[in-house]
Formats: sequence, C-alpha cells, structure tokens
Amino acid sequence: MTPPPLGRRGLFGAGAAMAALPDAIAAQPAPQEHPAMTHTLRINGRAHPVALDPRVTLLDALREHLALTGAKKGCDQGQCGACTVLLDGRRVLACLTLAAAAEGHEITTIEGLAGPDGALHPMQQAFLDHDAYQCGYCTPGQIMSAIGCVQEGHAESPEDIREYMSGNLCRCAAYPNIVAAIEAAKPQMQKA
Amino acid sequence: MPEGMIGQGIGASPVRVDGRAKVTGAAHYASDMAVPNPAWAFLVTSAIARGRVTAIDETEARRVPGVLDILHHGNMRGEVQEAGFFAGGGYAGSSLRPLEDDRVHHDGEIVAVVLAESYETAREAAYRLQVRYAEEQPSAGFDTEGAEARDAKDAVQGHEDAEVGDADAAFAAAPVKIEAAYETPTQHHNPIELFTTTASWENGRLTILEGSQYVHGLRNGVAKQLGLDPSLVRVESPFIGGAFGSRGSLTQRTALIAVAARRLNRPVKLVATRDQGFTIATYRAETRQRVKLAANPDGTLVAFVHEGTEVSSRPDPYKVAGTQTTARMYACPNIRTKVTILHADRNTPGFMRSPPEVPYMFGLESAMDELAHALGMDPIELRRVNDSTHESVKGLPWTSRGLMRCFDAGAEAFGWKDRTPQPRSMRDGDWLVGYGCASTIYPTHLGAATARVTLTPDGRARVQTAAHEIGTGTYTVVAQAAAEGLGLPLEKVLVEMGSSELPPSPVSGGSNVTASVCAVVMKACEEIRARIAAAAGQGPLQGRDPATLRLAEGSLRAPDGAAEPLTEAMARASNGAIEVYAENIPHGLPEGALKSLYQGKPALGAGLEGKDRVMAAFGAEFVEVRVHSRTAETRVARILGAFAAGRIVNPRTARSQLMGGLIWGIGSALHEATEMDRKRARYVNDNIAEYLIPVNADVPKLDVLVLEEEDKATPLGIKGLGELGNVGTNAAIANAVFHATGKRIRTLPIRIESLL
Ligand code: FES
Ligand code: FES
Repeated sequence: MTPPPLGRRGLFGAGAAMAALPDAIAAQPAPQEHPAMTHTLRINGRAHPVALDPRVTLLDALREHLALTGAKKGCDQGQCGACTVLLDGRRVLACLTLAAAAEGHEITTIEGLAGPDGALHPMQQAFLDHDAYQCGYCTPGQIMSAIGCVQEGHAESPEDIREYMSGNLCRCAAYPNIVAAIEAAKPQMQKA
Repeated sequence: MPEGMIGQGIGASPVRVDGRAKVTGAAHYASDMAVPNPAWAFLVTSAIARGRVTAIDETEARRVPGVLDILHHGNMRGEVQEAGFFAGGGYAGSSLRPLEDDRVHHDGEIVAVVLAESYETAREAAYRLQVRYAEEQPSAGFDTEGAEARDAKDAVQGHEDAEVGDADAAFAAAPVKIEAAYETPTQHHNPIELFTTTASWENGRLTILEGSQYVHGLRNGVAKQLGLDPSLVRVESPFIGGAFGSRGSLTQRTALIAVAARRLNRPVKLVATRDQGFTIATYRAETRQRVKLAANPDGTLVAFVHEGTEVSSRPDPYKVAGTQTTARMYACPNIRTKVTILHADRNTPGFMRSPPEVPYMFGLESAMDELAHALGMDPIELRRVNDSTHESVKGLPWTSRGLMRCFDAGAEAFGWKDRTPQPRSMRDGDWLVGYGCASTIYPTHLGAATARVTLTPDGRARVQTAAHEIGTGTYTVVAQAAAEGLGLPLEKVLVEMGSSELPPSPVSGGSNVTASVCAVVMKACEEIRARIAAAAGQGPLQGRDPATLRLAEGSLRAPDGAAEPLTEAMARASNGAIEVYAENIPHGLPEGALKSLYQGKPALGAGLEGKDRVMAAFGAEFVEVRVHSRTAETRVARILGAFAAGRIVNPRTARSQLMGGLIWGIGSALHEATEMDRKRARYVNDNIAEYLIPVNADVPKLDVLVLEEEDKATPLGIKGLGELGNVGTNAAIANAVFHATGKRIRTLPIRIESLL
C-alpha cells in the first residue's frame, strides 16, 4: 500500500468525473449481479468475517457492515481525510480502499486505540488537553493521521506537522490546536 | 473569583464534557446511528438550472438487481405539502416543494430519489436513471440576462433601509471622500459531515436522524409537510459534524426520505454526496456593494452610503442586508443604505457564519482603510475618532462597546507601531510585507429558551434542553452553567440535548445559544436553590434568611460560613428528586417568542433590533501578509484578533471558536469561492479539492486575545462570539495586501490573478 496522497490540491478532477457519470449511460454495460464475497478483515486485533458486494469500500464496510462508525465519511473521494485509518501502521484513506483489498492487512481504527481499561492513547489524550477539535467530525481521521504522521517521522517541527497533516481537513479549523496536540503526544508515543 | 464558583462553573476552562466521546469515535453523528435493515437512497439532481424534466426513463435503473423504488415528480402523490420559506414565517430554506412538478428551478435540484437494497446498488441505479430535459436559458444573477431586481424594502418583510440626514448632499460637500465598489462571491459552508438523513416509521410515528441546528424546527416543518401532528415526529441529532448555518432550516431531502421510508415500510438512509451538498442546502449569497464614505480633515465621518445587491432565487427573497450593521458601526450624521435583491435561477441562499456581516463589513472596513489612506491618517485613529456610545441610526445606546480597547490591546500585542504607513514600504527579501487591520462586530442575538433541570437525591443533576452541539462546546457550557447554579462538580452534571423530545431551545445560529440557554438553565437552578433554601429552617441553617443561602461546593451555605451538605439539605425539601422546568424570554423579545419557539420557528431578537438599546460583541483584527514580489503568491504570515464579548463562559472553547473564525476569515479572503459557469448557471468546483477551504499548512501564527468585559444589560452578561471571529478578517487581509503592494483589491477572494 502506498501512503495516501497528502496534497489534496493535486486531486483536481475527481468531482468533475463523478458529475459526468450520468451522461455516460449509453456507454455502460448492462447491469449485473454483484454477489457478495466473504472476506476476513483483521480490525483492531480481531478477525471479522464479512460478506460484501465487491464494490464496498473499506470505509463503508467498517461503518455500514461492522458497526465501526468512528471513521467518518466527509467526501468519499479522497479529499478530506475524515476516513483515515491505519493499514499495517500506515495511514490510508478508507474511502479510496476497497474492503477486499484490505484483506490480509492489519487495520487499526479509532475504536482500537484506547487500552482495554479505557486508557486513552497519548494522541487522544493530547487532542483532549489541547482542545484540538470542535465538532469532532474530522477528529478520528485527524488522530489516526497524526499517529501515522509521527510514526513516519513527519512530525519533526510545527512546519513539518502542518504540511504532513494537510490532507486532513478540519472545517471548524482546529489546526493550531491539532499541531500543538501532535507536538505534545510525540514524546509520549516515543516513550510508550 | 465570583461567588459560588468552584473552578468548573461559568468562567472555568474544563476539558469538554463530550471530549472523550469525540476522540474515541463514540460520539454518534446522524449517519452513525444504526437502524435495522435500512434501504438506501441515492439522489439524482438536475443537470440544468432552468427548464423542465420532459422524461424520466427508469428502464435501465430498474434492471439493476436490488432496486426497490424510484421517486420522482411523476409518481409523487401529493405526499409533501409546503413548509414555507423561513423568512416568511415557515420552516424551510426554500419555498419550493420537493418533486412538486416537472419544473427545474436551479442547478442540482433533486429530480429523483433512487431506493435500493444497498448503497452501491442505489448509486449504480441512480447513474443509470435517464432524465431528459427541455433546457431554458437560465440567469446566474450578476452579469447575465433575465435576473429580476427588487428593492429589499418591497421584497422582504420587515426590511428597512436606513436614512439619516442627507448623505448624498453631505458627501458632495465633503472635503475628503472615497467611493468604491466591492464584490463578494458565492461560498459554501462545506461542513465535513455530509448532509445525511435517516427516516423510519413505527405505528404512524416518524423518527428522523439528521444533523440539525434546530431539532424543533425540523420536527415542526416535516410534520407540516407530511400533514402530521408534530408530536408524531421525533428528531434526533446528538452530535453535528459542523453546520455554520447549513443545517438551520429544513431542506428538501428530509420529507422525501420520510416518504420513501413510508412507502417501503422500512428505514431509509441517505448520505448525500459532497457535490450534491452544494445544491441541496443553502450557501452564502453573492453580493456587489457600493460604498461612499466622506470625512472632515480630522477624520470625523460626515457621510456614509452603503448600497448592496444580493443574488437570491426566483421564489424567495433571502436577504443578507449587512447594512443593518454597517450603518450602526461608527458615529456619522448622514447615512443612507439600500439593499436590492436580484432574483435569478439559483437555489435560495441562506445563513453562513456571520451572514450579514461577513460580506458587508468587508465593504465598510475596506472603505475605512481607503479613507484613512486618503486622509493620511492611521487606520486605528480613524476608528477612534468615529467611535460612538450610541448607534447612529436611531440613537440607541450600546450596552457596552469594547472596540477601541480591542484595537489598543491588539495593536500592542501585534506590534502595529512597527508598521511604516507608506504602501510597499516594508519588505523581507523577495517578499512584500503588509500590515492591515479591521474592526469586527457581531450583534448579541438572544432567543427564548426552555430547560428542565432535575436534581436527584444522590446530589447529581440532569439538564435537558433541545440545544445542539455543532462544535461550539454547548454540552460543556450548559454543564458549567448547571454546575455553577447548583454548586456541583462538573462530573455530577449530565446534559441531554439534540432531541426534539426535550424542552425546546433556540436555533443554534446567530451565536445566541450560550447566552440564551445558560440564562434559562441558571433560572431553573435558582428555583431549585430557592426550594432547598426555603426548607432549611429545621436544620443547621436554622434562622438564616433563605434568600441569602447559596449552593456551592456541594453544600447549602450561609454567608456566615455555616453549611449543610447538599444531599441533606435537599432531603428536607423533597422526598425524592427536585425537578424544575423553566422558560426564559430575554429582554426586548415579544411575549410570543415562547410560542414561536414551541412551533419551531426561529425567533431571535435583541442585538441591533432592541427598542431601547443595542448590544454587540466587538473586536479588532490584525494581519501580516507577505506577497511575493515576482509571483504574487499571497500568504498570511500572522494573524491576531482581540475581542471583547462580555462574560466568557469557557475561555478554552471560546478561544477555539474565535480561532476557527479567524481561519474562516483567511479562507474567505484568499481561497473560497464557488465558481459558476455563468452561461449555464451551474457550479463548477463542487468538491472540496477545488473549493479551497483552509488546510493546516495555510494557517500561520495565530493569536487570540479575549478582553475582560462586564456588560450588565443582561443577567449573565454573556455575548455570543462564534460568529465574531470571521467578520473583520476579509478586510484586514485586503488592507494588509494594499499596504504590502499598493494595490487595492475590492473583489474576494484575493488570488494571484488579482494582483498581476
Ligand atoms: S471520506 Fe475519505 S477522504 Fe473524505
Ligand atoms: S472538528 Fe469539526 S471538522 Fe474538525
């Protein structure tokens, strides 16, 4: 898996392509059945067998089939980062990953971060302490992305963090607090 | 520390009470809430802006395995009645009835709803639905033919243009003057949570799961559309993934999804796409303004004319009308304002964060900077000589006005004195450096509110009110109010909000909620205190005047220090729980405000609409921009806002709100515009890669100063601030760009091409 595209401004055209689809009907093949296929997804350390239409994204598999609604849908086209999860420790956009393609990988979602006793991950705690959210909708994606950012070694300076967290939009604009939270969590994560 | 405060009441900065839910994924937004075996809806929206749907061929769509039904105008059975335009006393953001007939009124109007067993199937079938149109030439508004202009005073109920003295004559005779035209674009809220609705029916009762800024409005509006008694409609919206005005009034989708669920006899879930979000909800109207501003050589204003034209839809006169604010901003003896509505083939616009002020204060505060330059005067000093104790239209007093204190504190912290006044006089290598400033203001809107507070014998409190958590921290500030009122630690207070089953609370708009809801919660707590105090006669507080007894630190306390633990004092007053329902109508609102609240109609007042006084929060914003001398790349290097907004309930969440507002202002000034194909009146960049909202790397060094301010006009002295932060930013940045480059940009957003 390659890391997610971080510069959303390089993603021009995705929306236009979606909008153009209805006009392309004439060229479409006849509708067909999409029989469900069973996959075993390893999520937060547990195996989840699940039967899915092959078109289902990892995001919809988590949210609609496995009741793991922590990862959020903010665009469904790779532009916002609200759906960020970790795949084998690296951040990916779950809306741009087919569920079938996630089979055989270790998936970590926001629900899998806190310890069994409820102890928060240092990044979660730092987001609380720094008020690094407002509505909270982008927050699971921000936190997963922030963990990935630290693990990648892209949290070396505030400028670095700002750049490498720019794939995660926050319309409430908690950005300065997110940077502060990541700076605070980084040494805690390295200690742990 | 005020009396009765224990560190977690009003004025404290606890971590948000809903913070843990938000950082663990446990906070459930509308589409996160599970319903059994839902069918999925996918919208089909119009590919033209004006004309008719001539045919809908379902054949291909129906062949998709798993399709259940397709709603369109040809098979609606009059199931959805009118809900009315909110500004005309109704509930909806637009007076159009969904799928009423074959007319297409704007780009992206819902023309069909495809229902299927799964999301994937519904989407495929929607793409296969063939909709044919007879297209007519639409008008996009400005610069296109066919738009219809109407004076707002004729088109909009209750709109008044201001006329004080003779502004045109005074302008003509004035020694120093400027006249300029300003333009602000269409903008979209783009909260990160998509527009979603889930509807289900059980025994004739409808449950709607939808992110809403006004659950009682949504309930009553949908009930009216579907011909139901409102008590049969329940709306649940415990967490909202950002709103900014976009979820304040009823949109077309809700009733359609409810109808679909009734027809299928099964829950139906809709998660509209990002691009559909640009056309199925509201947006910020485009404006064009003309400002004339004249002064004596000492800077005192002698004339102010502010005219604005705003684009709206054909059927609805949505007004922005920020002239109501600009006309009152500074002392000036001659004022004339005029608002014109331009009806075009567009969706009806609506409220977007600081709706009137953001476009119109850009005009006024840019003009003030232009005038300061013409006078050779420091822009802060120009504001100082025109500061006022009374607003200039009716002469009513401001309850408090911290404007110049904000300028002074802000200027000091920002280092304004380092600015050399001449444009293009500051430089750092290849970068031209500019400092700019502007005033900010937001009226203190207040609404009638109700709440129920229950104190249980174990010394815990439950607060119930149908307020909304849109990111402002409402769960937390309401808990703080109850903690203060009952003298309890925060963890003993549980707050329930976001449901139409709870006592009504005003629309979460106009920055009114903290002030309106804390007031009624404190009122309920006071009654609980009074009941407990009245029963204290038999216990250790025997002989004390009940009026002097307070609830603090888990006890009932007398001024002499005597105290009785709360649970014991409470047991004298009640064998069980004490439950109080309270209502509050703020000063200046009519008696009917409570009735409107129960009917789900937003009835905010006070602010600039007071009969005997006006109330607003103020601030001053300072910006350093850097414009590259060769590429014209423009960056905000630092931004500082100083604000005076009355009593601050929670400095932590207040700072976050103001910070978010400043960043919204950066987006508005430098990035955000919904571009139109003016010939076809359709949006071009309807996604969040091309509609540029600020990202982390766009945000520079940012400082928020919140000044202490005591305003005694209301019992709690709270002024709203969620919309204060982004009012002055457009102009502060444009003024800084002028200072850096010598170029005055009067059209937003300011982009590289504006400066070439
Ligand atoms: S939902 Fe995946 S990037 Fe927006
Ligand atoms: S907290 Fe609301 S979008 Fe980030």
